[in-house]
Amino acid sequence: MLEFIKFELNYRFSRPVTYIYFLIVFLMAFLATSTDIVRAGGSGGKVMENAPVVITALMLAIMIFAIFITSAVMGVPVLRDFEHKTDSMVFTTPVSKWQYLSGKFIGSFIIVLLISSGLLLGAMFGQSFQWPWKDNMDNLMAFNFMYYWNPYVIFVLPNLFIFSAIFFLGGSLGKKMTVVYAQGIILFMGYLVAQTFLAELDNQNLAAILDPFGFGSLAVTTQYWTVAEQNTQFIPFSGFILYNRLVWGAVGIASLAFLFIRFNFQLAGNASRKTKKKGTREERELKDQVIESPVVQQIFGFSAQLTQIRSLSWFYFKWIIKQVPFISIALAGVAFVFIIAFVGGTGGYDIEVYMTSSRAVDMIGIFNLFFIIITVFYTGEIVWKERDVKMNLIYDALPFPNYVSTASKFIGMVLMSIFILIMLMVCGILIQLIKGYPVIEWNVYLTSLFGDTLALMILYLILGLFVQALVNHKFVGFGLMFAFYISMIVMSEVGIEHAMFYFGRASVGNYSEMNNYGHYLTPFSWFNLYWFGLAAIFYAVAILFTVRGIDSSFAVRLKLGQQRMTRNALVTIVGALIIFAGSGAYIYYNTNVLNEYQNSDDGKADRARYERTLNQYEWIAQPKIIDTYVDVDLYPKSRDFKASGYYVLKNKSDETIDQIHIQKSVDNQLTTDLSFEGGFSVDTVYEDFKYTVFNLDNPLAPGDSVKMNFDVVFTTVGFKESGSNTDVVYNGTFFNNSAYFPSIGYNSGFELSSDDDRKEQDLEVKERMMETDDPRGIAQSLFGDDADKISFEVVVSTDSSQIAIAPGYLQKKWNEGDRVYYHYKMDTPMVNFYSIISADFVVIKDTWQPPVDTLQEVNLEIYYNKGHEYNTERMMNGMKEALTYYTKNFSPYQFRQLRIMEFPKYRSFAQSFANTVPFSEGIGFIQNIKTNDVDLPFYVTAHEVAHQWWGHQVTEAGVKGNAMLSETLSQYSALMVMKKNFKPEIIKEFLKHELNSYLMGRTFEQKKEMPLYQVEGQGYIHYRKGSLVMYALQDYIGEDSVNAALKRFNEDWAFKDAPYPTSKDLISYYREVTPDSLQYIITDMFETITLFENKTTEAEYEKVSDTEYIVDLDVSTIKYQADSLGNEEAQRLKDWIDIGVFAEGSDGKDSLIYLQKHKITQEENSFTLTVGAEPVKAGIDPINKLIDRNPKDNVKSVTEKEEEAI
Amino acid sequence: MNLSIQNLSKTYPNGVQALKDVNLEIPVGMFGLLGPNGAGKSSLMRTIATLQEPDTGSIQLGDLNVLTQKTEVRKVLGYLPQEFGVYPKVSAIDLLDHIAVLKGITNGKERTKLVKSLLQKTNLWQHRKKGLGGYSGGMKQRFGIAQALISDPKLIIVDEPTAGLDPAERNRFLNLLSEIGENTVVILSTHIVDDVKELCTNMAIINQGEVLKTGNPLEAISEVEGKIWSKTIEKEELPTYQDKFNVISERLIAGKPEIHVHSDGRPDDSFAPKVADLEDVYFSRIKESTQPAEVAV
Repeated sequence: MLEFIKFELNYRFSRPVTYIYFLIVFLMAFLATSTDIVRAGGSGGKVMENAPVVITALMLAIMIFAIFITSAVMGVPVLRDFEHKTDSMVFTTPVSKWQYLSGKFIGSFIIVLLISSGLLLGAMFGQSFQWPWKDNMDNLMAFNFMYYWNPYVIFVLPNLFIFSAIFFLGGSLGKKMTVVYAQGIILFMGYLVAQTFLAELDNQNLAAILDPFGFGSLAVTTQYWTVAEQNTQFIPFSGFILYNRLVWGAVGIASLAFLFIRFNFQLAGNASRKTKKKGTREERELKDQVIESPVVQQIFGFSAQLTQIRSLSWFYFKWIIKQVPFISIALAGVAFVFIIAFVGGTGGYDIEVYMTSSRAVDMIGIFNLFFIIITVFYTGEIVWKERDVKMNLIYDALPFPNYVSTASKFIGMVLMSIFILIMLMVCGILIQLIKGYPVIEWNVYLTSLFGDTLALMILYLILGLFVQALVNHKFVGFGLMFAFYISMIVMSEVGIEHAMFYFGRASVGNYSEMNNYGHYLTPFSWFNLYWFGLAAIFYAVAILFTVRGIDSSFAVRLKLGQQRMTRNALVTIVGALIIFAGSGAYIYYNTNVLNEYQNSDDGKADRARYERTLNQYEWIAQPKIIDTYVDVDLYPKSRDFKASGYYVLKNKSDETIDQIHIQKSVDNQLTTDLSFEGGFSVDTVYEDFKYTVFNLDNPLAPGDSVKMNFDVVFTTVGFKESGSNTDVVYNGTFFNNSAYFPSIGYNSGFELSSDDDRKEQDLEVKERMMETDDPRGIAQSLFGDDADKISFEVVVSTDSSQIAIAPGYLQKKWNEGDRVYYHYKMDTPMVNFYSIISADFVVIKDTWQPPVDTLQEVNLEIYYNKGHEYNTERMMNGMKEALTYYTKNFSPYQFRQLRIMEFPKYRSFAQSFANTVPFSEGIGFIQNIKTNDVDLPFYVTAHEVAHQWWGHQVTEAGVKGNAMLSETLSQYSALMVMKKNFKPEIIKEFLKHELNSYLMGRTFEQKKEMPLYQVEGQGYIHYRKGSLVMYALQDYIGEDSVNAALKRFNEDWAFKDAPYPTSKDLISYYREVTPDSLQYIITDMFETITLFENKTTEAEYEKVSDTEYIVDLDVSTIKYQADSLGNEEAQRLKDWIDIGVFAEGSDGKDSLIYLQKHKITQEENSFTLTVGAEPVKAGIDPINKLIDRNPKDNVKSVTEKEEEAI
Repeated sequence: MNLSIQNLSKTYPNGVQALKDVNLEIPVGMFGLLGPNGAGKSSLMRTIATLQEPDTGSIQLGDLNVLTQKTEVRKVLGYLPQEFGVYPKVSAIDLLDHIAVLKGITNGKERTKLVKSLLQKTNLWQHRKKGLGGYSGGMKQRFGIAQALISDPKLIIVDEPTAGLDPAERNRFLNLLSEIGENTVVILSTHIVDDVKELCTNMAIINQGEVLKTGNPLEAISEVEGKIWSKTIEKEELPTYQDKFNVISERLIAGKPEIHVHSDGRPDDSFAPKVADLEDVYFSRIKESTQPAEVAV
């Protein structure tokens, strides 16, 4: 055995490729750690780049690439003996199978280990020095060997063993390298599938076990780690990580065991022996037959060549699809698509989204990278096909033109691609049918699969042909393709971002059922033309330089290439060049001349310049808008609009204002013209920033007003490189005033916000929002400092096939030619925030009768895309229920109408404007709500309706903690409406997701976690934690008390201008209704970051009689307070916490038979409770009202006490 | 249609000179190219078969310039390389049909007949549906000739076809070759002298890239007739004899070396005169060509 080990080691050490592998791994680790090209794990923000979690994620990512190295080393040791036909020599020596296999395995595995040490060394080396290209070392902690060793031992080493064993098995039994590659790809696909599962709460555990790389288990284990924990904690070898390692370790051992049993340590039988005998017998029978040579005709014209191409293409195609690796990869692809569709396939809150064709296509799209891999791989195989089977000399001497062979290989591969895609399309359609959404949109399948994906595959196929033809070495070719792919990732880091530099990049965009592929098809087509032009050149060059015969030296090929350069070839190349250059020029003209192109660094630099130049004007006194009138003409077909109107600006300050600063829209497709009535002149123009300072001829004294007229023209010209406008589209236009209409003064929203970006631009790090009691902040609302409330009137016209909607009440509607006009006017003041919407809508109407007779009826309308009627009833019901609850508990609804309008799913949110709620296609219209699901359309509707109160009635100050007033209160309000309308289980399910989202959100915090009352636009706090905290609050002090506080708060602050309320104001209303004994919860919930670790350690019961059971519980409680990075400190306990007992309910599910708050003052507590039915489960905080990082251990199954033996 | 080779030279990148100023006129009929392993036979064959570029020289097949009119040449070419593989899982009939298409037999009916006739001719008809991976060496070689015979080529090149075949298979194969039409140029390279003796009307002996001898085998034999002497000696004596005499070949007969010496007169009485055959021509030529090289060393 030692001999074999030595042999393997010597063999490997004598081969340069071994060192190259090491170097690759080393360099990948080095580059990933010493540059910013790769951002793995949660790094960025406050998480250090050498935190163990980050290094683990990084090493795992490199492992995915390195899997190909592992396969190359581990697949071949036995295979080599077969290929070099030394098997007979080895197998006839007196060694045992066991010695042979284990020697080979151990020897090769040692090599794999040595290569992988490059990972460890590269990472350490990369982070040990101050490299000159590195901006700063702030993101590194002091060097610690364990940071690297910990992930290496827990993930890298086991992975290496597992993969080595699997590849060793594949190579030894499969006797083909392709089998090994197929294994690698399938493992990789397993990782992809696990990734999709991770997104779903209920499937996370599965993902953790399933992921062969261990990524899933790492993610599940560390998903709630705070920044501080990420920086300090090592990866534990326990829980899911342990299980995952054990399961896959077992797979590895099983692979080896299987191999040892099945490996046939004898010579392959001589298959021809038997048939030969048979042959001679038959030969004799035929001996006397007279054989006549038929007269045949050789044809060499073009039609003959077509026949040849057809025959050859079909031959190659049949060959590929019969390959075992191809079949296994394809079948694995199909299996995984089905698994993802049926095990996963849900959206937010684990709610199933209808399996539309575009979703099916998106699901298939997960495997796009693998399509490229399979294409590149088989391109290499097919180019070398004849040479691999040594038939090349026969083939090459056949009288077909060079292009016939290349064309046939090309077509054979294209057929293969189409075959895969058809197969997956059939899967997609089947899934759609099985999932009960039988609306098959053929154009989606055709465009996405056979337009987008197929085009990409063909482009890579041609690139593969080209590279293989030029370098004329299969594996060097593969290596180059890999390097090419990696280089595209690196390119973006050095600022080359334009899609024209990224081979094959052409995006068909996000499919919306409202707008279909919209305006994306045009650039998509041009980019494809461009790439196919280039590909045609590649293709022609490949034909010219393909080796035919045995000469492969470059000089000879150059000579042959000249010989082959016929007129046709020249015409093809020149033609392709014209297409490539022509379409390239056209694209450039569109993206860089007609439109402005900027890479992201330039964009950041611009924003920094904006801040440096204009920040001086941030606080100068400016008038505020009090009245807005605007005529908007939308032209959906050409994606243009014109808007002209006026603002009435009033000086609400106590200074005289003689200069007005106007920020025009910076969108370069838009021009803005301004004038002030009463005379004005232009003082300074900052053209780069579209910022103009005007002098008024008649300065505005305090209280004075001036009318500002504006004309805005938005013209879509050509197409953009990226970030094309999705506001103004063919069907489903939706935009608001802030992005397009002129605004007053400096816009701090343009400033760079992330600490990293600011440091890069030499700007001081800044706070995300103003302090809660900053008087300047309290003087302006969350909608900005342009206005308090405004009066609003708008006339929107659009194409007559569409309906246009804006806030206000419809005054008049009329047609002029093929255009339709809608005149809307709001009759009460509203916030300076309005939307313009236009689409081809179906409308349903209803009315809502307020619970109080004195209030007037409200018209309810839902405007939606035809075919999206699944949930409109839920939305309508949501509006009614919400209006009723809020009117009863807070205040009357301020409008006579409420409308929901669907907009395309380029953006996934709903937003509340005065009496209008634009609602994304993606989040409410295509969900398939089942009985036990959170009714998301209902809930989102209720949330948006709540904003009519929290945001529109009470508008808060634009300071820290502001979202606690609008968003958190809307969460609370909607939650109460849900509580009234749905079973408690659904509320529990909802809160479970909110808790998960909150805890996950903390992990990704880039700057600092804030307590709720100081929230700085952090969604995970003001939405997620908000829901949890408010639900607990109403549980502790009562729903009525909370509502009473809110009612008072509303009375005091609704419909008011500055000063605006803040979270501190709201908290005082809460404190008023909270008994002294519970005042601490206000502190815990709103003013600090407080978390609990509740756990039930022991739960037993004793049966006294059928109606009397005594339950003994041991529970533990720790209460933490966390700082902004998640450093925790235990708190003294004086808390009221639920203790609960479940029995089996009539429906077979657990139902609470006991739930009481008990005062907890120490960590360990015991309770003895008497209940009236047989208990099943019991525990502390059993329905997870408190924020607990480990909510699952709160409850335990109750066991019957065993009779003590006496 | 003659094949005319003028001043053909080829040096490989590793410095090996495979062809040195080769000039050959090859008429229709069976032409034998005789030489030891590594003599440059395959290089020459591949160059004629349009698969390799010479450094200098020209090859003319009738009106066709072989080096530039490759496609035209390939239309009339049948080529059986020295070593070739097959798709192991494809059957003979399918692969032959496939190659026939590539040879321009695009009419399906014609092709079916042709493939059938070729497979019958090569005695492979009964194995036609079997995967080629299961073929024996001889069967594979016959398949090779079957594909080379598609569409009556005017130029047939078979490179070492009999190497590794058992005597029965070899005979069968040579019979096949002998049936090839009269007005075809057939070039057969081999290191087995008997192949040439049995089949060829013309031949060339080639070693180290040089043509040593061309002509009719019988004429060639007559040139050495009466100059070949043989003697059975002891093993230990071999070096002495090699020094003393022009030993062109030795072989073991019943464990003892029998040496052949090329000499105008009888070397001494212990030598017996031998009836010259082609083998002696071959060995004497090879010996001559290698002699100076040895001296130089």
